[in-house]
This record gives sequence, C-alpha cells and structure tokens, in this order.
Amino acid sequence: MKIMVVDDSTAMRNMVIRTIRQAGFDTGDVVQAENGLVALDKIRKDMPDLILADWNMPEMTGIELLQAMNDEGLKTKFGFITTEATAVMREQATAGGARFLISKPFSVESFEKILGAVM
Amino acid sequence: MTAIDEIHKHWDPVIGAYTARVLPGQYYVSAGGDECIGTVLGSCVAACVRDSRLNIGGLNHFMLPGDEGGGSGLSLNRFGAFAMENLINDILKLGGSKTRLEIKLFGGGKIMRGLSDIGQKNIDFVKSFLSLEGYHIAAEDLGGEFSRKILYFPATGKVKVKRLRSVHAATVAQQEASYESKMRNNVAGSIELFD
Repeated sequence: MKIMVVDDSTAMRNMVIRTIRQAGFDTGDVVQAENGLVALDKIRKDMPDLILADWNMPEMTGIELLQAMNDEGLKTKFGFITTEATAVMREQATAGGARFLISKPFSVESFEKILGAVM
Repeated sequence: MTAIDEIHKHWDPVIGAYTARVLPGQYYVSAGGDECIGTVLGSCVAACVRDSRLNIGGLNHFMLPGDEGGGSGLSLNRFGAFAMENLINDILKLGGSKTRLEIKLFGGGKIMRGLSDIGQKNIDFVKSFLSLEGYHIAAEDLGGEFSRKILYFPATGKVKVKRLRSVHAATVAQQEASYESKMRNNVAGSIELFD
C-alpha cells in the first residue's frame, strides 16, 4: 500500500507516519510532500493508494490539491488531517470527494478506525 | 481550534501596555501594537515567535512534547507539536514569513524533585522540532531548578524574564498539574468519515 503524507511541517509528517505505523499499517512505502504543488507533481508520476493531507500549506493548500486532482481526473483515496475543521471546510472536503477528516490532535485509535474503514 | 478567544487581557500600569495572560495549553498571537504577552512557566516551555519585519508575533505555553502521536480527548495546545504548529500558522496567516521568524525559548524547569524531568523532555522536543523545521533559536533561557515569569513584547522581540523563588515554583507546579487535570476532560481531536 502506497501512502502519501502532505504537510509543510517535517515534524508533523514524521508524527503522521509514526502514527500510521503504530496503528498497524505498513508504512514501508510512504511518499512525502511539503505542499500541494510538490504532491501534485509526484501524484502525476506515481499515484498513491491513499493521500493524507494537511489543509493549510504554502504554495498549494490541501483542498486546492484535491481540486487540482479532480480537474486532472486523478482519482485515489484522499483524507485531511487538520487543526481547523469548520463546516465550510467539511463541505468543501466532501464536495471534492475526500473520504475523511481527522482533527488534530490525532491518536493511534483514530488512525486505526479511519484507515481500517477506508483501506 | 484557537485559544485566543479565551485569553484574558488587562491594562498593566507598570508596563504601560495591555497584557494578555497565557495559561498552560493556550497560545496567543498579537496582530500589532505595543501589546505585551505574559505567562508563568514551571516545567512547561513557551516559544516566543515573531516576524522580525512585520513586528507581529506571539507565544505558546505547552506542557508535554506530544510528538509521539497525540492522545484523544486531550486539549490540542497542551502538546508542543501542535502548539508550535498553531502558533506559527497563525503568524503566517497574518502575513508572516517562515524565513523571517525570530524564535526565543523559555521554561523547562525541573521544579518537582523526584519526578521524571518533564521540563527536559519539553526542551529536547522543542529543540528537535525547530532543528527539523530548519529554524534558528535567537535566544533561550531553559532548564534549571526554578520557574519563570515571562513578559514578551512581540512588536520589538524584547523578553523580560524573572526567575521565581522556590516557594513560587511549588505554586506554579501545582497550577500546571491542576491545568493538566482539567484539560484531560476537554474533548479535542475528532474523526469524521464522509459518506
């Protein structure tokens, strides 16, 4: 299973990857990107099975990444891990085809539930 | 989830400025002016962060590193990993730039003898976090067997630090333990599966 983690914070990407591993999912093939633009470039070359993206990022935000993927017909499982989770953000996420939204602080248990249901 | 709405501000006639009081598990960003931000630290750590060109910034006050995968049902900003992210993101939203951030660190005292050194864990975390993110530490006053009162002026970057005597340190330690207990009951971090 190829997972992509998109976040502008290196520390947060490391935390997410560690939590995926602790939740019992194989992270041997994790791809990282520091913003939506870098992620989109990598997705075009090699589509991951699941993308976990932050919402607020420089260059291209998480929702802009999802919209760009839709515009280009790039389909895969997509979810957000974010601090803010307003009603408007949820609407945008579902309209864009996101499968889930995890609010920070996340836990191993929340990853087990979400990834178990989605994968 | 910002803690800014919960911050108490008062006019400090000695300082001659409005002062925002930041409690454990909170953070505050001042959008400008001569505001002062104050907090009292025991084993907790506060990062004072500002954009050195725009002269805006704020500070957080975190209690635990929280970089090992957070716990559900715990207040977000009590963990360093999230408190750092929220503080920096709020400054960036106000137009700040990652390349201009001036960061100063305070706290991490060992104020409870015989217990595990939470202060040192917080210090190790925040230094590792900043190194990983590529940030330089402009100044620091960390560790030691005392608590500290911090007054931060984001417009100038000036920080006043008062090291508190042991009698105060015990009070600060009790307050931190009390806040931690209260925050365990605060629900944060949810998951939502869309149809």
